[in-house]
Formats: sequence, structure tokens, C-alpha cells
Amino acid sequence: MEVEDFGHHISRRFNEDLEHVRNSVLKMGGLVEEQLDRALQALSQADSALGLQVAHDDYKVNELEVSIDEECSRILATRAPAAIDLRLVVAILKTITDLERIGDEAEKIGFLAARLASLEGSVNNYRELRNIARHVTVAVHRALDAFARLDSKLALDVVKADEDVDQEYEAIYRQSITFMMEDPRTISRVMDLTWSARALERIGDHAKNICEYVIYMVHGKDVRHIKLETIETKVVDRNAG
Amino acid sequence: MSKRWVRQLLGLSGWLLAALALGAWFGAVSWWLAAALAIWLGIVLCRLYDLDRALDDRKPLFITSDRGMWAELLARVERVKDKARYRKKKYHQLLREVYKSTGALRDAGIILNVQHEIQWFNAAANRLLGLESSRDVGQRIDNLIRNPEFVAYLDAAKDDVITIPSPKDTAGRLAVQIIPYSRNQRLAIFRDITHEFRLERTRRDFVANASHELRSPLTVIGGYLDAMLDDGSIPSVWHTPLAEMQRQVDRMTRIVRDLLELSRLESMEGHAGHEFVEVGAMLRAIHKEFAESGAGPKPALSLETDAALLGDESQLHSVFFNLINNAVRFTPDDGKVDIAWKATKGGVCFEVKDTGIGIPEELIPRVTERFFRVEPGRSRASGGTGLGLAIVKHALQRHGAKLEIESELAKGSVFRCHFPPDRIATRGGVRQAAAQ
Repeated sequence: MEVEDFGHHISRRFNEDLEHVRNSVLKMGGLVEEQLDRALQALSQADSALGLQVAHDDYKVNELEVSIDEECSRILATRAPAAIDLRLVVAILKTITDLERIGDEAEKIGFLAARLASLEGSVNNYRELRNIARHVTVAVHRALDAFARLDSKLALDVVKADEDVDQEYEAIYRQSITFMMEDPRTISRVMDLTWSARALERIGDHAKNICEYVIYMVHGKDVRHIKLETIETKVVDRNAG
Repeated sequence: MSKRWVRQLLGLSGWLLAALALGAWFGAVSWWLAAALAIWLGIVLCRLYDLDRALDDRKPLFITSDRGMWAELLARVERVKDKARYRKKKYHQLLREVYKSTGALRDAGIILNVQHEIQWFNAAANRLLGLESSRDVGQRIDNLIRNPEFVAYLDAAKDDVITIPSPKDTAGRLAVQIIPYSRNQRLAIFRDITHEFRLERTRRDFVANASHELRSPLTVIGGYLDAMLDDGSIPSVWHTPLAEMQRQVDRMTRIVRDLLELSRLESMEGHAGHEFVEVGAMLRAIHKEFAESGAGPKPALSLETDAALLGDESQLHSVFFNLINNAVRFTPDDGKVDIAWKATKGGVCFEVKDTGIGIPEELIPRVTERFFRVEPGRSRASGGTGLGLAIVKHALQRHGAKLEIESELAKGSVFRCHFPPDRIATRGGVRQAAAQ
């Protein structure tokens, strides 16, 4: 299926509109990635100023979401796109919602990082977040790559890898409970930590959603709430056919 | 017309004449003519077929017998083909060499067109950025390298170098430079500076930690020295050494303080904040401080504009204070120090002009290095730490401002700080700027 060819329209303006809105989504993605990176940096280096900065900068993500949303509505109203173009616009509308949520979670991590930095506590304790953080940043990065390249195979890989994130979260959750039972004085700190892990786990889910939209965009198949094996056969079938 | 063509024409006319004659003899002119033309046409078609094959075939076509013009034509086709084949081979070889050498480069090179679309890249681009030629040629580069700073840099089309986190590994760092080399093509070069970046950070951390660790022992020593100087039971022979010790401790405390400030400035990433800073009031306060202190020439202040800045208040204070302090220290008591705050064509400018000892021209680029002293003895005697201008440089950098130094030995120096227009605040613009 020819999916990369948005340049086939008679109207050049239409091509430009579609290209532009797609680029805006990736720009928003870049911003969200940076927000996430900085939030995690604030967390690992106990940098409360950076954490608050991240929380403050979330408005940029929101502004982009609103402007892309408007642009999509305009395209839908004036161009009445069909087939792949329609799928692209629909997928973009959904993708930006998830990106905005990732931005919100990053904001939350920023706040938590600022609070954790001001609390007494060993820096070592944030080390358990490192693994899940790495998984999640890679997932977001690869989801956006899949979006940019319209690469359904990569998207499928990210969907599969989300299970690792869930397991990591589970492990941190159990560990936190143990900590809190051992020493109730740590409860407020460990709670904040668990909330950060929770936010990361949510980000992983949003990255997975974005990948599902990519698969929808490329193959025209809705793969939400379906077993992984079924998705796989759908994607592989289309690739083979 | 060449001889061969003439011969060919003669042959055709002879052939037709013979057919005509024979036709007249047998009484069927049109039949004979038609047959002769058909045979001629057949021969021409055969030759055309040969020619077609000669143009088409990869192997050279052997011309077996001499057929006049046709043989010549085929031979010429062969020659042209040979030449083209040779040229192709040569270019191919050259291209392979170019690919090999660009492939051996350790820096990633990417050719971009006006729309930021990737047109070509070398092997290192795959290693550093994860690009793959089968799928990424034709993609917009800002779709794949999405770092906001890089995207802004791409659009701004400046020729400086920026540092971005590596897209493959957030701990890695890449230095990026974009060089336009024709009207619609640009070359982006990515260099892996992770190692240098880590070294630099280690060095910075070391300086910060060392300074921090030095501070508390110094406080203790200073405290005891104070107590001993106040103590009347200490023999008077020790008074001078003790006073000297206290002076040195003060100096060391100042150095440690400056080092800490410098390392704090260095460790801050990105640009300074956007607080509203009332420069006029700040300069008046600093000016008053120097005017009231006993030592050195009295500086003169002229506020030609009431522009305020958007920036970091304490950093700007340390810029102005250090520059004025330098001017006062290096100017004799009967000299002049003029401080000015004025609007210029491209922004606002803070200027300190003195009639002091000046800096030799060849040393001007080095004065902002830390611990660099033009005249070591003099600077130390006047109480400098050797870090003032380094702090000034870093603080200005974070504000996007430029430091300009003019100096003439024994006549005096001028230090100018040029602030860009996006740092200037007007009263009405405060709210808007603060929201950004």
C-alpha cells in the first residue's frame, strides 16, 4: 500500500496542509520528549528548579495541541479528505491527545521531582525508576519514529514492549509496599516515588496508543483492545500481501 | 554531404534506373519499380535492425562486411558507446572512492534541501543517528531528530554550533553544525562529543565540589584568626603576621566564592530566566557603592536610556559590578571611569570606559580566561580573584549578550556589553514576557 504518498493530490495546497500538520505533530512530539527527559533528569538529580520548570513549560505542549486540533478541523471541513488522508487526519487527532497526556504526566513527574528533591532521603532510591524510565523514553521515541516513517512493524514492536513497562511498574509497586511496611516514616517519599512510576507507566500506555494509531493509519485496521497475536497476523498479512 | 551519402544516393538512383529500364523492356514499369523499391526497403530495414541492436546491446556488434555508409554508421555508434562506457566506469570509480571516504568519516554528514528533507547521508549517520537510507531519504530531518532546540536551529539557519542530546541515547551528546553550500542545499554535520561532554562535566563537578569543600575550613580558620587578633594576650610580634594571614584568608574566601559562582553559571543549561530587571536603579546603587568607598577614582554614571532588561538579576548585578570594579581597580586615582547605559542600533549597551593601564592588544582575547592576569603582581595586589571577567563572560552568554573589549596600553580600556533586543523590557511588555 502506498502510504507515504501524500503528494498525489491535484491541489498543491492540500499536500502542503497535510505535510504541515504531520510535521507539527512531530514537532509536538519532540517537545514532549524533551519535557519527559528533563522531568526524569530533575528526578534523578534531585533538581527541584528543573522540575518546576518542566511543570511550567507544559503550556507549550498544550498550545501546540490546540493549534494542531484547529488545523485538523479546518482540513476536515474544507478538504473533505478520503481514504489514507482521512485516516491520517483521524490518527493525528488521536495522537495529539495522547501526546498531550504524556506532557501532563511529564508535568506531574516534574512536580513530584521538585517535591522529592526538597524531602530528605537517599538519592539511591530513585535508582529503581531508572529501568522503567529508560523503557518508557525509548518507547516514546520509537513511537514517534514509527509515526514519522509510517513504520507499522516498529509500531508493533513498541506495542509488544509495553508489557515490559507494566512488569517494571509492578515490581516497583511491590518494592514500595515493602519499604513502607518496613519503615512508615518513608511513606510520603515512597508514595511520591510510586506516583512517578505510575506516571511513567501511563506514558508507556500512551506511547502504545500512538503506535496503534500508526498501524491504523498504515493498514486501515483498528487494533485497539485486540490480543497481540491477532494484531501481529493483521500487520504481517498486510505486509506480505 | 559526405562522400558515402552521395554514393548511397547514386546507388539508389542507379538501382531505380535499372528497374525502370528493365520494366520498359518487359512492358511492366510499375511492377518492376515496386519490386526494386521493396528490395531496397528490405535492405534498409535490415540495416536499421542492426543499428537498433548496436544501440541496444551491451556487447559490441561485429561488422562483418563493408557495407559503405551503414558500416560507418555502426562503427560510429560503437565508438560513442565505448566512450560512454569508459566515462561511466570512471565516474563510478570516483563515486565509489567518494562513498568510501565519506563512509570512513567519524562525523555524520547529511545533505538537506530547502524543505529540510534528507537527500543523502554517510555511514556515520546510521551509527550516530540511526538513519537508514532505504527508508529515510526524502524524510524531513526534523521529523526524525525532534529535539526542539535542533528544530529551532534548523529554521534559524545560523552558522554556529549547537549541542543536542543524541537521539539514540539521551546520555550522549552531539555537536551539530549546518553549512549552506548552495542556494538550495545544506550540509548538516553531527559530531559525537559524548566523551568531551562527560569530561567537561567531571571537571565542572570537581571544581564545584573542591570549592565547596574548601569553604568550611576557611570559615573556621577565619573565625580563629578574628578571635586571635582581638585577643590582647598574644605577643605584639604576631600582630602583623596574623593580620596578613587574615587578609590571605579573605582573598581565598573570595576566590572560592567566585569559583562557586562560576561553576554554578557553567552548570546551568540553556538561557537565563526572564525576570524584570531595573538596570537604571541597579547601576545607581552600584555607582553609589563605589562613589562612597575611599579607594580609587570616582566613577561617573550616565543613564541615557531607561530601558530595563529581562534576565537574571543576580547575574546581571555581578556583570555590572565586576566590570566597574575592574575599571576602578586598574585606573589611577586621578584617572576617569565613565559608566554609560545607552540604546544602540541593535539593542542596548552597557559601557565602562576608563583611563587606566590598558591591556596589550594580543592579550585581549585571553582576559576572559579564568585566572588569566595581564600583570600578575598588580592584579593580585589590588585584590582581584582572577575570575571576574570569566564570570562576566558566562553570565553574558546566558543572556545572549556579547562582550566587546577595546583597549590601548597606558591609555585605557572600554568594555561594552551588547544586549539583544529580545532581552529588552518595556513596562507594558513585562506581563507578556513573563508569560513566556
